[in-house]
Amino acid sequence: MKSLINIKLALFIFLFVPLLMQGQDVSDIFRAAGTPHDTKVSIAFNRYYNSEALAELSKKIADAHPDLVKRQSIGKSFQGRDIWMLAITDYSTGDADRKPGFYVDGNIHSNEVQGAEICIYTAWYLTEGFKDIEYVKQMMKDRIFYIVPTINPDARNNYFEEANTGSSPRSGMIPLDDDNDGKADEDGLDDLDGDGSVTQMRRKSDHGNFILDPQDPRKMIQIGPDDIVTAQRYEFLGSEGIDNDGDGRINEDRPGFYDPNRDWGWKWQPDYIQRGALRYPFSAPETRAVSDFVKAHPNIAGAQSYHNSGGMILRGPGAAEDIGTYNRADIRIYDAIGNKGQEMMPGYRYLTVYKDLYSVFGGELDWFYGGRGIYTFTNELFTGYAYYKNNENRSETRYKAEKDLLLGDAFTPWAPYKHPTYGDIEIGGFKKNFGRATPGFLLEEECHRNMVFTFYHAFHMPHLSVAKINVKPL
Amino acid sequence: MKIKLFLLLLVSCLVLPAKTWAQQDYRNFNTLTRDLSALASRHSANTDLKSLAKTPGNKDIWALTLYSGQAQDKPAVAIVGGVDGSHVLGVEMTARLAEKILTDHKDLLEKTTFYIFPNMSPDATEQYFNALKYERRGNGANTDDDRDGDFGEDGFEDLNKDKRITMMRIEDPTGDYRMLEEDPRIMVKANPAKGEVGTHKLLTEGMDNDKDGHFNEDGEGGVIFNKNLSYNFPYFKPGAGEHPVSQKESRALLDFLYAQPNIYSILTFGPANNLTKPMKYNASGANKRVVTSILKGDAKLNELLSETYNKIVSPKNAPASVTEGGGFFEWSYFHFGKLAMSTPGWWAPMPAKDTTQKETKNAALNFLRWAEQNDVNDVFVDWKEVKHPDFPNQKVEVGGMVPFKQMNPPYTMVEEAVNKHSEFLAAFLKMQAAVKFENLKTESLGDGMNRITVDLHNPGLLPTHTEMGDRSRWMRQINVDLKLANNQKIVSGRGHQLINVIPQDGTVQLTWLVQGKGSVELTAGAPHVGTETIRIKL
Repeated sequence: MKSLINIKLALFIFLFVPLLMQGQDVSDIFRAAGTPHDTKVSIAFNRYYNSEALAELSKKIADAHPDLVKRQSIGKSFQGRDIWMLAITDYSTGDADRKPGFYVDGNIHSNEVQGAEICIYTAWYLTEGFKDIEYVKQMMKDRIFYIVPTINPDARNNYFEEANTGSSPRSGMIPLDDDNDGKADEDGLDDLDGDGSVTQMRRKSDHGNFILDPQDPRKMIQIGPDDIVTAQRYEFLGSEGIDNDGDGRINEDRPGFYDPNRDWGWKWQPDYIQRGALRYPFSAPETRAVSDFVKAHPNIAGAQSYHNSGGMILRGPGAAEDIGTYNRADIRIYDAIGNKGQEMMPGYRYLTVYKDLYSVFGGELDWFYGGRGIYTFTNELFTGYAYYKNNENRSETRYKAEKDLLLGDAFTPWAPYKHPTYGDIEIGGFKKNFGRATPGFLLEEECHRNMVFTFYHAFHMPHLSVAKINVKPL
Repeated sequence: MKIKLFLLLLVSCLVLPAKTWAQQDYRNFNTLTRDLSALASRHSANTDLKSLAKTPGNKDIWALTLYSGQAQDKPAVAIVGGVDGSHVLGVEMTARLAEKILTDHKDLLEKTTFYIFPNMSPDATEQYFNALKYERRGNGANTDDDRDGDFGEDGFEDLNKDKRITMMRIEDPTGDYRMLEEDPRIMVKANPAKGEVGTHKLLTEGMDNDKDGHFNEDGEGGVIFNKNLSYNFPYFKPGAGEHPVSQKESRALLDFLYAQPNIYSILTFGPANNLTKPMKYNASGANKRVVTSILKGDAKLNELLSETYNKIVSPKNAPASVTEGGGFFEWSYFHFGKLAMSTPGWWAPMPAKDTTQKETKNAALNFLRWAEQNDVNDVFVDWKEVKHPDFPNQKVEVGGMVPFKQMNPPYTMVEEAVNKHSEFLAAFLKMQAAVKFENLKTESLGDGMNRITVDLHNPGLLPTHTEMGDRSRWMRQINVDLKLANNQKIVSGRGHQLINVIPQDGTVQLTWLVQGKGSVELTAGAPHVGTETIRIKL
């Protein structure tokens, strides 16, 4: 009976609330500067959408703006989902696929979600801003944007719906045998306490090297070998999970594992050299779909991919061994755009992958640039800077922001649990939507700043025109 | 489709006597397809013939599995031919090895599964059988080799109408080539440091169709299989493809190989050669992140294989290994981690000494002399003057080595090469790694406690994992599992454990304390070395 009422309530909300929201008359709304006004499509940018919802949003945008958007599936994911792409330009002028093209994608790493929302925001902004934002109108006249909100729709949903931390699964969904026992993906993470996130496990232990912070029950303090401690000691037991396959190890064969961003065809290296590589370049269907699309669109001259986190604007080379590919003239152009980005996105730093992050082969940005000659940036979205607009004491800031800005919504308090292998333990910690994914109240800002950075890049793509014609009799 | 296949079989049964290996010449795609189908149906209990993909030229990439029982349950050798489209011998030898195993050596299937891929370049090898012959290597994909926006706009022309593409020499003091002293038919590069000056330009036969100053730089086809793999991929080089493994052929083969965890070794017939002469270990290349040298332990294995090979196949005058980057053999070792072997399969021996001729180091001339001594005809097209519109005021002659001949012997010589390589294969399989339980001991310690001790031994002359295979995630470690009944308990030791590698003739001792009565089941193995199971009474 109760569930029937719930269903009725859900139906009411589902059917009528959107109507109420859309029922607002434009005359009741005062325009905020820099944001499209009187829009055909309304989208909330303080939440995250799964792959089906993203597909629906892109369809809404395309349906509402048939003269500005062509929506196309560029391929199927491993589990058979369409990878939707929006080709956005002013179709009333010029030959669309011969305009300089700017490619944007998000979410190559499944848990690095907000790139998809930035893509949707960009598509929404271009289409809704076209009518009265002159910059957008001009841009759409002689540029085309190819926007793919998620190039990893399967694993995006896995991140949202299955047992995950903020950093998992990262992989795509092709099952692989990680522990060499001939079985694939048979011992992944488990959400033991059912809070929707995989948090941490800890256990009281006389020899543990952590104690509780007396001032903050969420926090653990690490102790050194010389510290004299009278408080109860704890040991960390890793991410929530059990030994599903009975081999004596916990969580050792999770979904995948491979890294879709080690799968690209520039200076690709196999797994023993570059951990995470799959079988050969573009052996994952999703990256293959992007590669096929890009190869079929030689008009693409600029590109952007979105990851998280850390607040970085990254350029290649990914690998120290590939320095020679990035010539000086091109680096000057990268620098000009990257430095502008630092200014537009406070807290973000313009960095080079191989020397500032790690030295890796087979990344997307390297194939775009090395293989296709396309200037490409990868932004690592969200940084703790955003909470208090400074970089002071980052590790403390997380706890403070969780409590004061997010009102305690992002932490599962430690609670006892009986573990089949470890016995009496406690489970708790930051939820998966904290730390990497931008908190709701900051998301629209993140979307806008990153979008204008791509506009700046797109605006400076080469665009040949005949300036002047002189005819001289010989 | 089914009717077609049936008709094909019917025709092959009626027209062909059972002995398909008695054919007279290299086989084109249709003949080979027909023969493979006939072979597979004659030995249907031991074969599985499957098309992995259709090439851009609409030809099948055939995979023929030879097995007995369950294919994946036994260690496997993959044999790959046609990696280079000009090497039709490789196709023939691969196919004939399959035929030979099934007709003369079926016993090999008791311990080994064979995955046989006769031709990875069927679009290209067809050029050998076409009216106009040239050493084509690329597939049927449209490519823009000179990156000018036009596809396939500047190919060869048969200027002297002899139905084959050879060379053109143009008399020109600015040219870099001269005639070889020992034989003016042969053109060699002039070396000014040795006081030599060029007298000719040397180009492939044809015209500059797109008038860009280059000759025949963007003809039909395509991507070269043996340049399209991921090790040391030659970016932006003609024939390589846009990125590694960009073609249907290479993807289909790799997808198939990755799905067979029982593959231990790969034998390639092609221009790479690590059998007459083993790959050399180079410490700095082996210790870099991107490994460019065979690893130390594997170099030793290569030496052993090479020794075995050279006892059977004479290595004299064998060509040095050829690689242009992106090669299949290099991939099979450096990226796939398997025990990798490659050989051209045949080469002309040195000509017999002839006091009337000056000895030469020139390989082409030695080949011509050998051919003459052995009645191998039609190996050289004599230079003949032609009128060439791109060189209106110069003397242009067309001629040179007849395509294909240096790598592909007259068909009568193929039989011997096949026999020798089948002998080598049998010798190689005798060295195969395996796991065997030895010296099993169970001791009762009282209170229902038992100590089990057993040696896990590799009786082979090869290790269970190459050093490279040990690094690769695609070669499974040896899994050791002790399965208990409900009333039993492991007190010490692990129910499940992994062993990285057991060296050749090496042993790993295993021990457990088990409490309980009855018997336990012990299993050890990996798909590429086989699996052993024993029941142990407590």
